[in-house]
Order: sequence, then structure tokens, then C-alpha cells
Amino acid sequence: MSVTHDARVQVRPATAQRPTARAWPDINNPAAWIVAVILLIMPLIANGFFLIEIFATTLILGTIALSLMLLAGYGGMVSLMQLTIAGFAAYMVAVFGVSGNANISLGWPWWLAVPMALALATMFGTLGGALAVRTEGIYTIMITLAIGAAFYYFTNQNWAIFNGHTGINTVSTPHFWGVNWRADIPFYYIVLAVAALCYFAVEYVSRAPFGMALQGVRDNPRRMAALGFNVNAHRVAAYAVASFIAGLAGVLQVWNYRQISPGSVSVGACIDVLIIAVVGGITRPIGPYIGALVFVLLRTFALDFLIKIGLDGNRFRLLIGLGFLAIVFWSSDGVIGLWQRWRQSQRPAASRPGGGRGHG
Amino acid sequence: MDSVAQRLSAVGAGAALELRGVTRLFGALAALTDVTMTVRPGERRAVLGSNGAGKTTLFNCITGDFPPSSGTIRFFGEDVTHFPPYERIRRGLRRTYQISALFPGLSVQDNVYLACRGVSRGRFSFLRPGQSDALMHAADGLVQAVHLAAVKDQRVAELAHGQQRQLEIALALAGAPRFVLFDEPAAGLSPTERQELIEILTSLPAHIGYIIIEHDMDVALRVVESVTMMHNGRIFKEGLPQEIQSDPEVQELYLGGGHE
Amino acid sequence: MTRFVERHPARALIVIIAIALALWLIFAVWPPGLEDAIGRKRVFLNAVFNGITLGGLYFLVASGFTLIFGLMRNVNLAHGSLYLFGGYVGYAISASTGSWILSFIIAFILTALVGVLLQVVVFRRMEGQDLRQTMVTIGLSIVFADLMLWACGADFYQIQTPNWLIGPIELPLITAIKSSGEPVYLRYPLVRLVIFAASVVIGVAMWLALNRTRMGMIIRAGVDDRDILAATGVRIQVVFVLVFALGAGLAGIAGVVGGTFQSLSPGEDIRFLLASLVVVIVGGMGSIPGAALGALIIGLAEQLGSVYIPTYAIVVTFLIMVLVLAVRPQGLLARR
Repeated sequence: MSVTHDARVQVRPATAQRPTARAWPDINNPAAWIVAVILLIMPLIANGFFLIEIFATTLILGTIALSLMLLAGYGGMVSLMQLTIAGFAAYMVAVFGVSGNANISLGWPWWLAVPMALALATMFGTLGGALAVRTEGIYTIMITLAIGAAFYYFTNQNWAIFNGHTGINTVSTPHFWGVNWRADIPFYYIVLAVAALCYFAVEYVSRAPFGMALQGVRDNPRRMAALGFNVNAHRVAAYAVASFIAGLAGVLQVWNYRQISPGSVSVGACIDVLIIAVVGGITRPIGPYIGALVFVLLRTFALDFLIKIGLDGNRFRLLIGLGFLAIVFWSSDGVIGLWQRWRQSQRPAASRPGGGRGHG
Repeated sequence: MDSVAQRLSAVGAGAALELRGVTRLFGALAALTDVTMTVRPGERRAVLGSNGAGKTTLFNCITGDFPPSSGTIRFFGEDVTHFPPYERIRRGLRRTYQISALFPGLSVQDNVYLACRGVSRGRFSFLRPGQSDALMHAADGLVQAVHLAAVKDQRVAELAHGQQRQLEIALALAGAPRFVLFDEPAAGLSPTERQELIEILTSLPAHIGYIIIEHDMDVALRVVESVTMMHNGRIFKEGLPQEIQSDPEVQELYLGGGHE
Repeated sequence: MTRFVERHPARALIVIIAIALALWLIFAVWPPGLEDAIGRKRVFLNAVFNGITLGGLYFLVASGFTLIFGLMRNVNLAHGSLYLFGGYVGYAISASTGSWILSFIIAFILTALVGVLLQVVVFRRMEGQDLRQTMVTIGLSIVFADLMLWACGADFYQIQTPNWLIGPIELPLITAIKSSGEPVYLRYPLVRLVIFAASVVIGVAMWLALNRTRMGMIIRAGVDDRDILAATGVRIQVVFVLVFALGAGLAGIAGVVGGTFQSLSPGEDIRFLLASLVVVIVGGMGSIPGAALGALIIGLAEQLGSVYIPTYAIVVTFLIMVLVLAVRPQGLLARR
């Protein structure tokens, strides 16, 4: 049943050796260092449009998809409500913080509103997860999709807190130490820091008892119970962690657009997160970010590209859908899987596939 | 091992495992009917019977994989009938599976480490185990005990069948087991591997009792002191190995009823 | 039924009281105090009838969904797209030929064909990989949605109700007593009643087909245990294709119904997919009676909710789902 499991069997050559050192990932991988340096000096290379519309947006979407990767890749639970949790956190920042809708927003300073939003989003996601784990496997998708859709319709109907379909506008962003943190360059660095933190945390926890137990639950829940693990408690805890990560991304998202409305939590957007994670590759934390980059680039440039090759520019979603189908058909490990297969076909003697994650 | 001794003495001389009228239905089919049995602490017993006799269902009821439809199960005096599996495991019950139930994506070492972690605190720990982690050492010890040290960093999916069977046993011996259920540990093993299995079983500390399901009489009778014979979901005969082996009814049943 | 009463006498009592109360609310002439408290009886009766007939529509969509899931473990998240596709086809036929009945037939055939194509070309290649199948249905729903947007635009379409069904009909249900002592009867759109009756007929026919025919027995055996199917020597692929065609065709019919009741536009596919999900989660996956019960509950909850607690109508539906998941995660009428 597990896509991720199939992926591992296909992608890893039989000779793959697990690095014995339990060190930080990719520490010996020059490509990873180059990517890190490029990300750090990005403001020198890219202008404001690229910095925010492409790279910051990629990192935010990637972090939401990372929370799904944690659940699906390690825990075997495909949750379609991760964007909903991010959106909930975004709404809570707008509701507790300062915005143009003075009759709704409570006007708390950001350093109170954000922890509150994160706590509530984590609670929301944990409760949703507790519902979802009452059933097994494929039901998870249905229940989390229903939760996401219910939240979308609810925000549309509710005016007291969520301000109906107009949403909450001109949400204020933090200013302190004399810096406007929503200015392009500081905001980029905040987003980069949060994304890096989440990425390394997920990477790290995969080798910690919690993460290993989660992978055990994915592979064989019955055996995990026979080893003394409370399987459902582990699953719910995974939802809690994933919800916190999604909540962080949601806070960044509302600061990025300075507004939040039901359109941002629509069912289509929920499914986009799944597409991003699957297209990037759902077995390791870097996948969601790669998927997000592909998605954002397509979304931004598909219009021009489609017109250039003589097609209707509005067919962006068709392109996304077909691309997603192609990935699901041909690579169960997303573009990373395709890339690794290509590299192996180029260098049959390769001792070790790229990516360098500590384990499968 | 101190804690085990303490827990044992606290319970006194009661039974390790006590089943009263355990019945398990699957729909209208009774896989287990009115099974009553008592096993002493440290006792080693074989459960014999043809396919469909209810042996594995018995294990599933004892560990809680499937709860019994009726009857009670006591583990060292405590009524565990309605406990979830993990609560029983944390009290010192262990089991292996007839078809290896391992974590193929993880390494041998990590499989055993998970087993050690499952019966100790810190299951939800977010900190990676360091070099000095006590459970890592415990896992190392277990890996050596089942002769898998040479392959401890390999992924389980890459192991040979016999090695996977040995890993099954290692997972069941993690922590401080008080009673173990072995479900056909010798299935599919070569003669040499069977010999190793017998050595592992006979060298277990004396306070660890077990029940073993085994079709191979030669293996079973060398590692147990008592035998329960099952037939059609009921207990058919109980006794010493010699009695059972020479019992004419048992012989007829075994020869007529699908001896493998 | 008797077993349920024996096992849960308290629950059975609550159910009986609830049904009696509902019947009294529907048939009795409301005392003035009640009208002051919760409004006029006509409003209530209209909401109940809207709920029941909407439930009929939901049943048409959800029964196909649950049938496909039950047999093939395929969570077809493109089911909403089939609904919308059927609706558009029905609109095109009805607009060009003027025949409402013909639009049902053609919509059924075309969506059933799409279902057959999906099963033969796509899902047969990934049998047993339910997660991957679900991903594919997600991709397909995106592609279908965009193709339909391309072909039909973002406009609203409504299928013309045929002349012989236009207008309300008077029902023998008293909504109020005039000051002259003359009773006022409920007037309700005939087309909705006819469609509801049709969905009941379809539901009963499906139940009979599943319970009384050889093919139905085979399908039900397959729902319970797929290995049995292979063992009986039935060509399992044929059964799969037939069931997929039937499930998809039902979604197509539902699309025509929805296009007549309400309207067709992009986004309706998601709405009806969500309705199907909630209906089968509440009723129990893979169960036709479960889909009927779930559809009735959700339809009533939605309509009564939108009349009496308009801001929280969607929350009521959702709370029902949460409650069912918490108490009986396999759904109300699931066999497990």
C-alpha cells in the first residue's frame, strides 16, 4: 500500500550502504553546500520579485508540503488538511494580531499573536489527526479532505471571526529593532531561517526514537504494538508535529500576502500541497522543496510559456494535473526518483545514490 | 534483570499465564473454543496441532492482536483481557510472528533498537541516540546474541530468510521479557540454522518462560518441558513430551491430520 | 433490526422516539406556541422535503462512489468530475433535442464509458495499490476540471425542466389552518418529488440486484473477500469494469438531476465529491443502505441547518461526520 515503500525498493540499489555515522545529513555532499551558499547570498543575485514571489513563496509552500512529507513519508498517513492547518494559523495571526478589520482583530502584538496562532493551529491539527487515526489507510485521505473542505466552506459562511469570503486584509507585519521584517530582504531571511529549521528538524527526527518509531508504524503497525508502542498515540503525535510545522508556514504566508481569505484554503489549494510533495518526492525532506520550486515556477511562468508555444495561457492547471499524473505513473519517488534513476543509468558503478539521507 | 526479579517476587508463586474459557469467533466460525490453560513462570511449553487447530489464534488472543470473544486472560496474576497489545508487552509479554513481521525499510540495528525502545521510556524522544546510549548497547548485545552482528547495518529487506527469522527472535527478547510466545520460529530454516535456534532457546535465562508453536517435533521436544496438543480450536491433550509422543490418540491425529 | 433492538434497547428507544417526533412534526397541525417558537410549519416542511430530495441526489452520487470503493478499494476522487461531466452532457442533449429523458440516457452512457475507460486504461494497471490509484484520481480530477472549464467556460447552466413536470403539486399535508377554518395544504415542486422517487427506485433496484441476482452475489462476495472472487472462477476484470461503469453512470445521472435541481458550474464537482465523502463516511464505506441513510441524514442536516442556523449549516454536517467517526469509525451501517 505504501507508495513510499515501493519507492525505496525501486530506487535504492542493492549495494546501498547506510552511512554508519549518525551525523548531520549531506555534510559531505558538495552539492548541498553549494545550494546552501546560493540560498544565503540569494538577495545579491535576485531582485525583489524573484526573491519573494519565487524563492520565499517556494520555501513557504515547501514547508507546508514538508509537514505532509513527515506524515506521509515517515508515517504513511496522507493528510490533505496540511494547508488547512497553515491557513488556520494564518487566520489566527490576523484575528489575534493587527489588521485592517478592526472589528475582528484583537490587536495583540505579533509576539503574542504568533505563539497563540501556533498553539491553536497545532491543537486544530492534532484534533483532526485524532479523528483521522480512528480509521486506517486510505480513509485518512477522505477524512482529511473532508476536514479541509469543511473549513473552507466554514470560512466562507462565518463573518464573526473569519469575515466571510472577503477574508481579513492588511494584516500588519512585525517591526522591531528598527527593521521592517516584511521588507523583501529581511523577510526572505526569516523565511529561509524557518524553512531551514523545519527541514533540519524533520531530517534530524527521522533518526530519533520518535521518527524511527513513526517509520515502524508506517511499515508494520501491528508489530509496533507487539513491541510495546501505542501506535495511535504515535500517529497523533506525528499530526501534532506536522501541524506545528504547517502552522509556522501559515504565519509566514499571512505575512507574505498581508491578507488571508477562503480562497487561500480552498480544496484545490489543499490538493496542490499533495501535488507539490508527490512531485518533489515524498520519501525525504528535500522533496517538498523541490516540488514547491517546480510548482511555483510553473505557476509563475506557465502563462508566458503556454502562449509562446501557441496554446491558451489559462491552461496552467491542466499542465499541473498532467505533470502530476506523469509523476505518479512513472516515478513513485517524484522528480528526485527520476533524477536518481537517470544518474544511475549514467553511472552504473555509482556506489551510492545522491540525496545522502541517513536511511531509506 | 533486577527489576524482573523484583516484579516476579512481588507476584509470588502465581501462574505466568492463566487462560480461563477463552473463545474467539470469526463471524460464525469458532477459531478457539473454551481454552483453559495455566503456565508457570519459567515454564517452557510446546503447542502442537495441525493447521487450523487454533495455535496462532491462541497467540493472538494472549497478546491482544485479536481480543478474545469471551473468557479471561491473566498475565502474572493481572487480568489483561481488555488491555491493548502494547500494555501487555510493557508488562513483559513478547511474541514472534509466523511470517516475519519486521521493518524492511530499517536496518537490523534499528529494528532491534526500536524493540528495545518500545519497552522502555522515551518512545517519543526527539533526540537521536548518541554513542553512549544504553539502549543502543542493549540492541548491540541482542544483535550479537542472535548471530547477526555481521549484517547489523544492512536493511532488513536485504537479509536472507534465516537471518530474518533470527531477527524476529531478537525483537522478542528486547528489554526484560518474562514470557515469550514463539510462533513457528524454525519455519523455513536449514538444519544448521535449526541447531542455532535450539541453542538460542536453550540458553535463555531460566526465569523466562515461553510457549513455542512448532511442527518439527525434533526441535519442539528438545526445547520444552511440557506439551499442549490442540485440535479444532480446543485443547486436546496436555502432558509431558514423552507422554504426548507415545499417546496413541495423538499419534493417530498427527499421522492422519496433516503432519508436516 | 430485531437484533439491534435486543442489543441496544436504550438506543432503539431513542431512535423510535425521534422518528415518532419527526412524524408528529410533519403530520400534525402545529399548535400556535410551537409556531411562535420555531417559525411556520410551511418553512419546516419545505426544509424537510428539500432535505429529503437533496438526500436523493446525494444518494445517486454517493452510491456509485461507495460501490466502486466497496469492490475495488478505489477511492475515486474524480467522482465529482464524473458528476459534472454528466451534468454538462445532459445540458447539451436537453438544449439541442429538448428531451429531458434522453439527456439522462446519453449522460449515463457517456459517463459509464468514461468509467470503463478509466478502469481499463488506468486502474487495471495499478490494482491493489490503493494509495497510488487515489493519487491518480486526484490528478484526473484536476485535468477533467480544467478540460471542462476550457470547453464550457465558467458560466452557470441550468437544465430545462420538461413542461409536464413544471410547477408545484399540492400534497395532503396541512401546513396551517386559515382563520376561516379551511386547511392550507403544502405545495411542492413536482419535479423534485419525481426525481426523488426515481432515486428510490434506483436504490431499491441496486439493492435487489446486489442481493437477488447471481452477479450481485458475486459482487457482494467480492466486497467481503476479494480472494473469493478469484476462487469462483469469475472473470474478475469483467466484474470490475461493469461496476465501474455503473458507478460512473450513476454519477452522470446525478449530474443531470443536479443540473435540473440546481445549476452546473466549475466547483460543483468538488462540492459533490465532498458530499459523497461525507455521506459514505457517515453511512459506512461500501454499503448501499449506508449510502442511503448517510445521504438522507446529510441532506436533511444541510437543509434544516440552512433554514434554522444559516451561518453554521456546514458545521452541522461536519459535526455529524465527527460524531460518527468518534462513536463508530467504520460508519453507521458498515458490515465490519
